[in-house]
Amino acid sequence: MLPYLVTIAIMIGIYGLLTLGLNLQYGYTGLINFGHVAFFAIGAYTSALISLAGYPIALGMAAGTVLAFLAAYPLGLLCLRLRADYLAIVTLSFSEIIRTVLISEEWLTEGTQGLPGIPKPFSSLSQGNADLAYLALVATAMLVAILLMWRLSHSPFGRLIRAVRDDEDAVRAVGKDPAQLKIKTLMLGAALAGLAGAFYAHYVGYISPDQFLPLVTFYAWIALIMGGAGTITGAIVGSSLLLFILEGSRFLRDVVPFVSEVQMASLRLAVIGLGLVLFMLYRPQGLIPDRSQS
Amino acid sequence: MTEYINLVIAGTVQGLVIALAALAISLSFAVARFPNAATGDTMTVGAYVAVLVQAATAGSLLAGSIAAIIVTTLVSVACYFLVFKKLERRPLVASLIASIGIAFFLRSMLTFFLGFEQHVFQIPISRALNFSGIRIIPIDLWLSGIAILVLAATFVLLFLTPLGRRMRAVAADMDLARASGIRSGRVMIALWAISGVLSAVAGIMVGIKTVVTPDLGWDLLLPAFAAAILGGIGSPGGAVLAAILLGVAQEVSTPFVGFTYKIALSFVALIAVLIVRPAGLFGQPERVR
Repeated sequence: MLPYLVTIAIMIGIYGLLTLGLNLQYGYTGLINFGHVAFFAIGAYTSALISLAGYPIALGMAAGTVLAFLAAYPLGLLCLRLRADYLAIVTLSFSEIIRTVLISEEWLTEGTQGLPGIPKPFSSLSQGNADLAYLALVATAMLVAILLMWRLSHSPFGRLIRAVRDDEDAVRAVGKDPAQLKIKTLMLGAALAGLAGAFYAHYVGYISPDQFLPLVTFYAWIALIMGGAGTITGAIVGSSLLLFILEGSRFLRDVVPFVSEVQMASLRLAVIGLGLVLFMLYRPQGLIPDRSQS
Repeated sequence: MTEYINLVIAGTVQGLVIALAALAISLSFAVARFPNAATGDTMTVGAYVAVLVQAATAGSLLAGSIAAIIVTTLVSVACYFLVFKKLERRPLVASLIASIGIAFFLRSMLTFFLGFEQHVFQIPISRALNFSGIRIIPIDLWLSGIAILVLAATFVLLFLTPLGRRMRAVAADMDLARASGIRSGRVMIALWAISGVLSAVAGIMVGIKTVVTPDLGWDLLLPAFAAAILGGIGSPGGAVLAAILLGVAQEVSTPFVGFTYKIALSFVALIAVLIVRPAGLFGQPERVR
């Protein structure tokens, strides 16, 4: 039971980082990023490839984070010119382009075969202890991210990006440039997704383009919406709930006898889809509402 | 040279299919004011209903198509009443996210009850007509003809009927339209019904050209989005034209960029055009509200 709980806790941490990034972009700044998985994938592949080439894992993770951070820059430039709904579609397209590149550039990514045998840290320890140590690492990263996020949201920058969300014209009127703020939050959020991707790659040990479908983006969205956009606690509570839904369905399978494993996957998708609709209809503010919003 | 003409022909057929979906999205963009991401999976529902009914009725594609159109129209109108109507006065992002949720839900129901295996339409195999190297497959002629007919009917409805005029009035300004005595609720029902019909026809056409799988519609959603934006919001004609252009561009580029990247091409075209012309190819530059 303990190894299983550790696994779930690690995954909560990974989705938590991903959701915190999205919270910065959508929850605070109001940017509709439907391509979050692209940065998750960039982080995962960069870190995996660098460590597979024999360099230290820490270097890979740092590179994955930085590359995701940089990859958001051109997208940020583009989104300045776009209405909110266009941005949603362009980012969604961007994530599918990244996935197409991962499938096509076989010399680098092995295409649909994927990358097996990604090195895990703490490999000198026994399996159980290595996982515990990994959990500690993920938890530390999460804690640092939460602290930074908290500092950020209470800083002048944090107030400014929320102002961008609430009234862009007002931000312009006081002489600040919403465009620069949007680029910055897009890049910072992407960096968090990149870090989450790196943690994911080194934990599961095998990645392929199939694991970076747009569905992952909407895992982060449902987590954010369930928890409550615009709050740090919301992002954490949301990703825990998400894991509860994703993993809980495994237990449900033992209780409901007539449902196959494949059908269970369909049911998970149904719950995510229905969840998005119902939360939008009846509780758009999420379980933990943002009190700064009236 | 003939090889390229063949690619242009194949691209035009593909473009007409995208055009049907793009028109549905463009209408939802213009009238309901958000891009309906459930369009793709409504197409999938249509394709499944058609292929299953065809199999059940000893090969009648007509029966399958009629059933598909009825079902997707019902699904589409139901989505309006159950979800989008209630989100009408809320920020655009609410409807957008809800439409993604509906897309996932529709697909999950299909895979839950019908599994992941492919279904194939029973279509008589026919030899391509060969005009000194230029090949035309008869079924492509049929499909193009039907697509053009459905597109034309939609435009007649939009631009030559009182309902179309009311629809365009609501698109221009909902409150003003209401104040002038237009029942916007009825207009919305018509919009979603049209969207359902277009989705069904598009889904069936993709199914006939390829195979019916759970991802059929989602895979076409992004090119259709791209076409709707490229054409310019509130410009259904632009969306159709952009879709055909995209279809042709995809096919003609295949010898150069390979099979996988041709799918990415529509996104690259989208991003490129948005940089130069944020309002789309045929759209009016609009005030950002």
